[in-house]
Amino acid sequence: MNLAEGVQIVSFGILAAMMLGAAIGVVLLENIVYSAFLLGGVFISIAGIYLLLNADFVAAAQVLIYVGAVNVLILFAIMLVNKRQDFQPLRRGWIRKAATAVVCAGIFALLSTMIVSTPWAISTATPAGDASVVVIGLHFFSDFLLPFELASVLLLMALIGAVVLARREFLPDDEADRAQVEALRLPERPRELVPSGRDETVN
Amino acid sequence: MDFASLAVQLNAGTIVPEAIVLITLMTVVVSDLIIGRQASAQWTPYIAIAGLLASVVALFYQWDVANPISFIGEFNGDALSVVFRGIIALSAATTILMSIRYVIQSGTSLAEFITILLTATLGGMFLSGSDELVAVYVSLETLSISSYLLTGYTKRDPRSNEAALKYLLIGASSSAIFLYGASLLYGLSGGETRLSTISASIASAGLAQSIGLVIALVFAIAGIAFKIAAVPFHQWTPDVYEGSPTPVVAFLSVGSKAAGFALAIRLLVTAFPLVSEQWQLVMTTLAILSMVLGNVVALAQTSMKRLLAYSSIGQAGFVMIGLILGTDAGYSSMVFYLMVYLFMNLGAFTCIILFTLRTGTDQISEYAGLYQKDPLLTLALSVCLLSLGGIPPLAGFFGKLYLFWAGWQAGAYPLVILGLVTSVISIYYYIRVVKMMVVKEPQEMSDSVKNYPPTDWTLPGMRPLQVGLVSALIATSLAGIFSNPLFTLANDSVLKTPMLQQALGRSKAPIAKQMAPTISQQLSLQITEVSTKKAVSLPKSMVHS
Repeated sequence: MNLAEGVQIVSFGILAAMMLGAAIGVVLLENIVYSAFLLGGVFISIAGIYLLLNADFVAAAQVLIYVGAVNVLILFAIMLVNKRQDFQPLRRGWIRKAATAVVCAGIFALLSTMIVSTPWAISTATPAGDASVVVIGLHFFSDFLLPFELASVLLLMALIGAVVLARREFLPDDEADRAQVEALRLPERPRELVPSGRDETVN
Repeated sequence: MDFASLAVQLNAGTIVPEAIVLITLMTVVVSDLIIGRQASAQWTPYIAIAGLLASVVALFYQWDVANPISFIGEFNGDALSVVFRGIIALSAATTILMSIRYVIQSGTSLAEFITILLTATLGGMFLSGSDELVAVYVSLETLSISSYLLTGYTKRDPRSNEAALKYLLIGASSSAIFLYGASLLYGLSGGETRLSTISASIASAGLAQSIGLVIALVFAIAGIAFKIAAVPFHQWTPDVYEGSPTPVVAFLSVGSKAAGFALAIRLLVTAFPLVSEQWQLVMTTLAILSMVLGNVVALAQTSMKRLLAYSSIGQAGFVMIGLILGTDAGYSSMVFYLMVYLFMNLGAFTCIILFTLRTGTDQISEYAGLYQKDPLLTLALSVCLLSLGGIPPLAGFFGKLYLFWAGWQAGAYPLVILGLVTSVISIYYYIRVVKMMVVKEPQEMSDSVKNYPPTDWTLPGMRPLQVGLVSALIATSLAGIFSNPLFTLANDSVLKTPMLQQALGRSKAPIAKQMAPTISQQLSLQITEVSTKKAVSLPKSMVHS
């Protein structure tokens, strides 16, 4: 084992430990702000692993999008929800947690067995390395042109949808009193509460 | 690769129908921006309907296109995709017809509603033809995210908020699972993303029997089953159907479901032929559960929207029978049933929208005695519901007849018998509504019907609703008797699709050229052994050699 391999193994170990520790913290900590910050730690560790795999563009995109945008957005959402409420601890809550743990452990065992037992077909193409940005760009404008352009339609629609959901509605004056009650609601009246529990029990 | 050769390879002519929808969408957005909300509500819906119908016309010219594969293998505009794209575009056009009055009355803005609906249509149309994992995922997300937005469109209603949130959370997790399955396929095939080459690469790598492929299959089916609302991935359906604006429910139950079925056929047939026994087993289980649970739970519903939600779960179960059989008749009966389902289900939704707008409720008990006040609505709703139940001269009967006949031919006797039994159950709850409307005496009339306002078709947005109602009524009552064109269309769409013909081992389709000859031979032998009873065209000695 030469020096480069040793450095790689050590940095993989550190990144993996960071990622697992942070991920367990995200799930187990009670305070949601800590969870959100630890989630940023998970994303950064994943970016480090991408770097180790020679995918520097993906690593940069990971930091920019997940840490820079998604995680900051999550933090904003947490900070904006200014509601102090003490949760009653659930009776027999541990059963739920134990069941979740069993299911997760089962899926983990299944997937890791599958990953270890499968003789993966490794692609014979040479890794792009530093030229990955150029290769990705070429793909975007040749064989991945359709999804690339469709993604722009998707983003446009997401933008319009976000505006629709977030804007303050302008209600015309003559209908103001009626509109206060009825606008932006379903025309159907809500059901009475009595029959609503019925099909949940069947379900 | 220079620009000219790239342009030839892209073969962009196959997506002209989608381009028309996209241009319509941009026209609606920009004109709404320029002329303002009040003025644009007058005519943007009609632009959108005209665009969608133009797109259907453009699809007609795509029927016999020589080279359906475009965008360097991203998109496959074969005959099957043309039919599914047509169903989706038509369902969107009908949805807009019925949504105009509904959206105006709920005080939301119409142009944005139409924009998001058109984007959902675009996503669904691309999904029906996508032949590559990235394109499949992006179009699936375009369809899903627009559906979440439409679900939460009446944003001051807590039911709508709840529906949107539930749909978003369950949908996001199911599409994450689907993506994990897609990434497993990518890994197992050694870096292939095109559906048609994946199975060949997996076979040549000797991974045909690996557990990884089965896990990929299960994960992919989880994503598909969420879209078509098959039990046990149906939990979102009743709440989302109840809380969404009713036109959105109509689109989700027809357009979105048709897109899901198109994806199911393409993905399962082209990417998973190596495990076709397994996927048929899984889909059979889902079909049985959907038929039983959808139809039985529908019996207990008191709200019309929830009734149609459970009935649509049951209908998805019927359609899945055609998918499982793996014969020509199976696939074409599925396409035929979806075409018929388009008319009758959208007709039923048009009727309940009209009733809701008049009375402000969708409780089944409030329909009592409607016959006395509104014979047209009663007639249309009765015809559509009876057709959904499968009562003889109507369209739904012929759809079910063809499905069950195809199942019987293929030897799927238990499935067909279960389908018949659950159809009988479904007739009970459909007839319950019809009886409520027709049989009640005047003194048993519900309060809503007693105060039923006189019909005024001149209000803004009522005329399109009337057009939708009458055309759905005519289509549902006549499509059964004059079903021959639809029947031929469904059969031809299957016969002209190389992907299905190759899977059925009938002919050496163009796709086969891309595989190494030995693999394709080995593959088609495996497929014919497991998936069809109609493999008589191959001599027995060849199969066993």
